[in-house]
Amino acid sequence: MTEVFKTLDKECLMLLTTNKLSIQKLWSQVNFRPNENQEKAILHNGCPLFLTAGPGSGKTRVLLWRTLNLIVFEEVKPEEIFLSTFTEKAAFQLQEGLRSLLGLVTNLTGIPYDISKMYVGTVHSLCQKLIRDRRLSKAGKRPITPALKDALGQYFYISRRAFWEKMTQAGNLSENPEENLSAIINEYFGSRSSSRHVAVTNCISLFNRFSEEYIKSSEIKEQVTDEILQGLIDMYAFYQDSLNSSDGLPQTDFSLVQQQALINLEASTASEQIFKHVIIDEYQDTNTIQEKLFFKLATGHQNICVVGDDDQALYRFRGATVENFVEFPQRCQKYLGCDAREIPLNTNYRSRQKIVDFYTDFIDRCNWRKSSGTGHYRITNKNIQAHSQDKNPSVIASTAAKPDLVCAEIAQFVRKLIDTKKVQDPNQIAFLYPSLKYRGKPSTQVKRMMDALEEQGLKVYAPRAKGFLAVEEAIAVFGVYLKIFGKPAKGSFSGEDYNDFHEWMKECVSQANLLIQRDKNLASYVKERREEIKTVTKDYQILLQVAQDNQWDLKQPYDIVLMQRSLSNANGISTSAKKAIGSSYFKRVVEKRIEEGNPFSLSYVINAATSVDWSVLDLFYRLCIFDHFKTMFDLAETGKDEGPICNLGLITQYLARFTDEYTSVITAQFLSDKKFQVTFFMSFLYSLFRLGESEYEDADDPFPKGRIPFLTIHQSKGLEFPVVILGNPRKDDRGPQRIEQIVRPLIEREGEPLERMSSFDIMRMFYVALSRAKNLLVINHYKGQGQRISEPFRTILSGEITRIPNFDTSFLPEAKEDIDELPKNYSYTSDYLLYQRCPRQYMIFRKYGFVASRSQTMFFGSLVHQTIEDLHHLLTSRRQKS
Amino acid sequence: MINSEIEAEIRRMFAENYELMRIEGGHSLSADVKETALNQVIHYWRKMKDVAENVTDTEVKLNLPELTTSQGRKYGIEGVVDIIREEDKTVMYDIKTHDSDYVRANTAEYEKQLNVYAHIWQGLRGQELDQTAIIATSYPKAIANALKENNERRLAKELESWNPLIDIPFKQENVEETIREFGEVVEAIESREFKPPSVDKLKSSLPGKKYTFAVQVCRNCDARFSCSAYRNYIRSSAAKSDSMLKRFLNDFGSDLEREDWRFSNLAVTPSPEDEDTVGEVSSPM
Repeated sequence: MTEVFKTLDKECLMLLTTNKLSIQKLWSQVNFRPNENQEKAILHNGCPLFLTAGPGSGKTRVLLWRTLNLIVFEEVKPEEIFLSTFTEKAAFQLQEGLRSLLGLVTNLTGIPYDISKMYVGTVHSLCQKLIRDRRLSKAGKRPITPALKDALGQYFYISRRAFWEKMTQAGNLSENPEENLSAIINEYFGSRSSSRHVAVTNCISLFNRFSEEYIKSSEIKEQVTDEILQGLIDMYAFYQDSLNSSDGLPQTDFSLVQQQALINLEASTASEQIFKHVIIDEYQDTNTIQEKLFFKLATGHQNICVVGDDDQALYRFRGATVENFVEFPQRCQKYLGCDAREIPLNTNYRSRQKIVDFYTDFIDRCNWRKSSGTGHYRITNKNIQAHSQDKNPSVIASTAAKPDLVCAEIAQFVRKLIDTKKVQDPNQIAFLYPSLKYRGKPSTQVKRMMDALEEQGLKVYAPRAKGFLAVEEAIAVFGVYLKIFGKPAKGSFSGEDYNDFHEWMKECVSQANLLIQRDKNLASYVKERREEIKTVTKDYQILLQVAQDNQWDLKQPYDIVLMQRSLSNANGISTSAKKAIGSSYFKRVVEKRIEEGNPFSLSYVINAATSVDWSVLDLFYRLCIFDHFKTMFDLAETGKDEGPICNLGLITQYLARFTDEYTSVITAQFLSDKKFQVTFFMSFLYSLFRLGESEYEDADDPFPKGRIPFLTIHQSKGLEFPVVILGNPRKDDRGPQRIEQIVRPLIEREGEPLERMSSFDIMRMFYVALSRAKNLLVINHYKGQGQRISEPFRTILSGEITRIPNFDTSFLPEAKEDIDELPKNYSYTSDYLLYQRCPRQYMIFRKYGFVASRSQTMFFGSLVHQTIEDLHHLLTSRRQKS
Repeated sequence: MINSEIEAEIRRMFAENYELMRIEGGHSLSADVKETALNQVIHYWRKMKDVAENVTDTEVKLNLPELTTSQGRKYGIEGVVDIIREEDKTVMYDIKTHDSDYVRANTAEYEKQLNVYAHIWQGLRGQELDQTAIIATSYPKAIANALKENNERRLAKELESWNPLIDIPFKQENVEETIREFGEVVEAIESREFKPPSVDKLKSSLPGKKYTFAVQVCRNCDARFSCSAYRNYIRSSAAKSDSMLKRFLNDFGSDLEREDWRFSNLAVTPSPEDEDTVGEVSSPM
């Protein structure tokens, strides 16, 4: 019916006829010359593989070719490979890289490859996939997919007052009912706060850690003597039960989803055989439950390959344990009863020689030796070598001076690098900090540096330096909301967060006042909404009074004949409520429910008649008619500026979150007695404020051109920049996190000693920062009152190091333009067809991620499709059985 | 499993999917719409039993990599095919919740998509397809009426004459043309061309449908309030007596739609409880 393949050119035909395609031939086709160890790692087959990969050692490429080798030359089916990466972006890069190389193979041999069923993604997404995988479910039974709560969803779930009360009750923390349970919990975590918010975040971190360690509450409860900890363990059990026992669908969170996947694997006989190869990237940031999961998957074929660098372990606070990596060979013995082959990838292709020398020396300045005298807490004999032969100075420091002077000097220097074309774009210079913000705003050091750069006429980009609510767009939108619903009064509470939040609301209101002053249409719109709220709450009171006068119970079934007339004729009721109660639609729905034996209650009918017609999300879209907001859309439509629209899109996501967590219909009952006000502003937005939700970031385009990025060191993981400036070489060692102390006695592992843990973590964090630099590494050297620099930087900076004024930039190579951009994939229906229908709609909902308020059509289509698909699976499994 | 058991199973799966999607999407469907969705699945099963029972693969992911736009930008095309059936011959089906008359009147629109999908599938599998077709699950008004009247006999008769299967012919030239157009759309997206369609387009009827673009598309779009084209459309069609703004802002749909929304969403949202600020107590910290 169609000619499938493109005409093969002569060379390919030759290859095809001789049928002698080899991986070496492919390498020469794409100009890849792996070094000896890379080649070994790519071709290895037969036992577990332990790849220790230093910074910039080409591990992604090795993984890519390794997978290709399995598919093309070892004839492993793509769906028999499990490949886990640390981010979705890394997964996408691998997948697309593979697709492109396989396309090349197809052109040479005519053999097609389809990798759409391959397991490639983050651990979390792969766990969800495992739970849904019909190969793992009992024959014919449809796997039930639990609804997944993200971090914010988990927070709202636990912090709900009703839930929190039940859960703390289950914890039985105090006999005295008057006592503040939050304060008790917080004290256990070493904090003097009595706030529920703090207690909730403490509980969440402990619960997630329990889940990641695969700690079972029933098993550890007996080991524990501390009453508070016992209570917390009971609360954890209560939380887990609640997720599965609530009336609707089972639910899970990001930590428990891994446990669920493991439990499924353990229950299935097939699970050990499904994957012939298990490949895990960034293995140093793996936690206990993940380790168990990976080894379980690898049990049948014993092909597990892990790649990582213990010196770059960053995620202890997410339960990661670097020992999983350092001791991988012993773990292979334990789980699989076999040895692992260790291959070091130790040639650095990223950085100039002096940079590599600098950070390899840096990491050695900490004592990693075990106190027993034998062995180390890191892999020591790495022997990392720079590929670069450039021995010119490439690590420099500012003049040691007061912060203002240092920042001014750095800013001038950055200006010079840009002006002399040492970088192609300002986004090739990255400022890295241990943390960027303090109490929702840029920290002093960060702010100072930003100001200094702006003084040089340079623009910065720092999405994580301030909370999302602090952006202009959020201030304007929520300012108008405050005008409509009224600003909650400040109570007698104090506390920094509480004061800061009230300050923020004040700022919102004054901004909204300005907008209202300028736009009389907006003014009248706000006025109308306020009146509408007044009307519905008045109607509500009147209808309640009617019920009371007639001695009707609000919970009793609504009786049209008996009640309708009295309600709709009530004195003083608005025409819209009157119309609603008397409408034929109302009547029809009510009658239908009576027919079904499930009649509406009187209170339901009163609520339906006295609700406003819009949700908080509808309100947002309506505000966009006014010029101040409409302009932001216009700017994006013409491609002039997409900053504002990105933040508006994020606002819709949070508003949708509110309608999910609370309600979309705003009833008069909810609006009465300031309940809505308190819920929306003092509970919902205040939580977002305190959680410090960040502003919009584009995962596809993280570093917009023309701007200098400010990143946390964690954010810079896996990235590289021609110039890296370490903006603050200081991270105070405050000892181990409380949670480590709590969890340590409950787990079997020995692990790193508690008292050395935090200093190890700080070394690793800075090691990541230092190894991001390709051409130049700059360190801000602050001196003066109140200025401190962490060791070993202090010692290093007191020795010989080139200072900015003495640095000769003529030896600094010019950065090349990054052309590493991967082709994007576009969907036929949700990109091509959607864009063709309306480019603007496409932009808003698809490109900038706005959440639609009333999307019945989409929901309808997905529901029909999904159920038909389920039907097919049901029929297929029936057929297989018979 | 006999038919009634399968239908019971469909109802169960449908209810479960509905719950999951409602929780994840934060919306609910009104009772009528939800029932229509369920009926589409049930009648798909009743009418297309032969196809449903012989499906060999579903939700097949397709990917065509290494394409280049006229401006030299690289990209890939993705798609998902609903059903592949392999018996004596290999057929690809795409399920649409559209009505079959509309699909028949506009085959060209569907041809492009299925031709491209067929092209990709054949390339990935190295195997030819014998046929491609659309299954249009939106049943005709006659069936809806029979359901409403609960008239079994009439329903059977109407089901008999309903033909939701529309054969889509394969044309190689369609593939090349569509991929070229696809490339232009990719270029436009990448160069950030996001202007709304013209007012004239908003006023025009969609092919095969009785409603205009403005009614069919814009009225269902939350972003219409900030849209210059829709604003101009309202201005040119608003009654003189109403101010443009007023008319625009009151554009929540008909009374019926409003009540429908309130009723169905009120029914599923838990009543908001008495929330306090998250645990502030008066002592200074």
